[in-house]
Amino acid sequence: MLALRDLQAAFAAHLKGEDRLDLAGVVVGDTISASARLRVHRRHVAQSLATALGATFPTVEAIVGDAYFQAMAQAFAVQELPRQPVLAEYGADFPAFVAGYGPAAALPYLADMARLDWALNLAFHAPLEGRLGAPDLTGLPPQRLFELRVALAAGSALVRSSYPIDRIWHASQPDATVGTVSLEEGAASVIVLRRPDDAAFASLNPAEAAFVTALDEGGSLGEGAEAAIALEPAFDPSATFARLLALQAFAALQQAP
Amino acid sequence: MRPVAGIGLRSPHLAEIARDRPSTGFLEIHAENYLARSPAVQTVEQLRQDYEFSVHAVGLSLGSIDGPDETHLGRVAALIERLQPALVSDHLSWSIAGDRYFNDLLPLPYTEEALDVVVRNVDRLQERLRRQVLIENPSCYLAFAHSTLSEPEFLTALVRRSGCGLLLDANNIAVTAHNLRLAPVAWLDGLPASAIGEYHLAGHAVNDADGEAILIDDHGSPVGDGVWALFDEIVRRYGPRPTLVEWDTDLPALPILLDEAARAARALNKGAEADARAA
Repeated sequence: MLALRDLQAAFAAHLKGEDRLDLAGVVVGDTISASARLRVHRRHVAQSLATALGATFPTVEAIVGDAYFQAMAQAFAVQELPRQPVLAEYGADFPAFVAGYGPAAALPYLADMARLDWALNLAFHAPLEGRLGAPDLTGLPPQRLFELRVALAAGSALVRSSYPIDRIWHASQPDATVGTVSLEEGAASVIVLRRPDDAAFASLNPAEAAFVTALDEGGSLGEGAEAAIALEPAFDPSATFARLLALQAFAALQQAP
Repeated sequence: MRPVAGIGLRSPHLAEIARDRPSTGFLEIHAENYLARSPAVQTVEQLRQDYEFSVHAVGLSLGSIDGPDETHLGRVAALIERLQPALVSDHLSWSIAGDRYFNDLLPLPYTEEALDVVVRNVDRLQERLRRQVLIENPSCYLAFAHSTLSEPEFLTALVRRSGCGLLLDANNIAVTAHNLRLAPVAWLDGLPASAIGEYHLAGHAVNDADGEAILIDDHGSPVGDGVWALFDEIVRRYGPRPTLVEWDTDLPALPILLDEAARAARALNKGAEADARAA
């Protein structure tokens, strides 16, 4: 007989793929063997966690298909079991696993799609807090506006990729209108957003991405504009800022500007 | 709560239920699906104004030697505080060991040692929530050779020592009885009737293990005829209770789930009429 602590440790090892004779030795076997009975649990843990990952990484699953995704996600799950029971918060390390997953090497953009899915998942579960709107800044002198520092709203995040992740995402939706996407289309950046009823993203050109990056790193609007203009001399900071305000990308100011 | 029939609230049905507010006895949510804030949590909080709720946890791991995770317990307690559900439950099982969560309802040996552990964990949960919780009989795929109590004996002792209630899952009884070669009707003998606070119904799958049928509690099909018959027997013996139809995988259209709950309600009413005649 095994003390409960030892039994649970042995069972945990079994679920991670170890064949534990001490555990099989305390399980009643009959015409269905102890090992076949234990396998029911090993299989359920791997399959149910892979299914949960499929809900969190729907674009990755759509790209590779159910069977491929199950194999990849089960390999991850056994290696990196959750640390707590809220499965919507499970999978932070999955994009890095996908990046190193040998069989997926032919899909070099797949890890970035996983990063986008994860950012959308975080946004979906972010609090819907107050947002900065254009009326909050009405009448602010241009110099004060240039010195203003704004923070991204909870859930807002920039995702950059060497691949056209926005077009790949659209082409992977169940009701896709985008046909094939060529990787030759090159790099893309998106800003992920928590909206009132869901999470979404908007595409940014390289100068806009530089602008948002500078703001996210604590720079003022003026510093953001400089970073963007360094990339694209024709960059229009007020048009981009207005667009981002309309997208509700920024948190409400802590104090009046 | 009156002995009505309700349905498990699953996210693909959430928008339809929020829009149409169909008639059903109560809604049961899995606590772990509503701990991370999301638009779905807001919808559930709005639905609470129109429906009775049951909060069914799957991750408290009341059978773990080290007890429930304190952070998780706090999050579940906060959800229950906000929703003020009529019923709160989790399972006679464990799912956490060594800081890892297995997302399965893992079996316990039915020993005095395990009983002490579960009593301690249920005491801690009930003190934290300041209310009684219902403990559900699990679906079993294996038994431990060193168990000294039967599952009903273990549950009965748990009720006596912790003051918890019982959630009887008719499908789990059928699955366990088949897989462990027990008689399902005999499993029902001698349970503490006044502690039973809720029933569950669900479908199961039949898989192969070593060339034999093993039943898997996958909540992926209509309630089977054998489970309906067992449910009639449960209601006949122990009377009507709030009853939930659970469906998790291969989720059907909402009307099909509501029809299953309506069938459960008819079975409860039949039991209540029999009670009235006997009285």
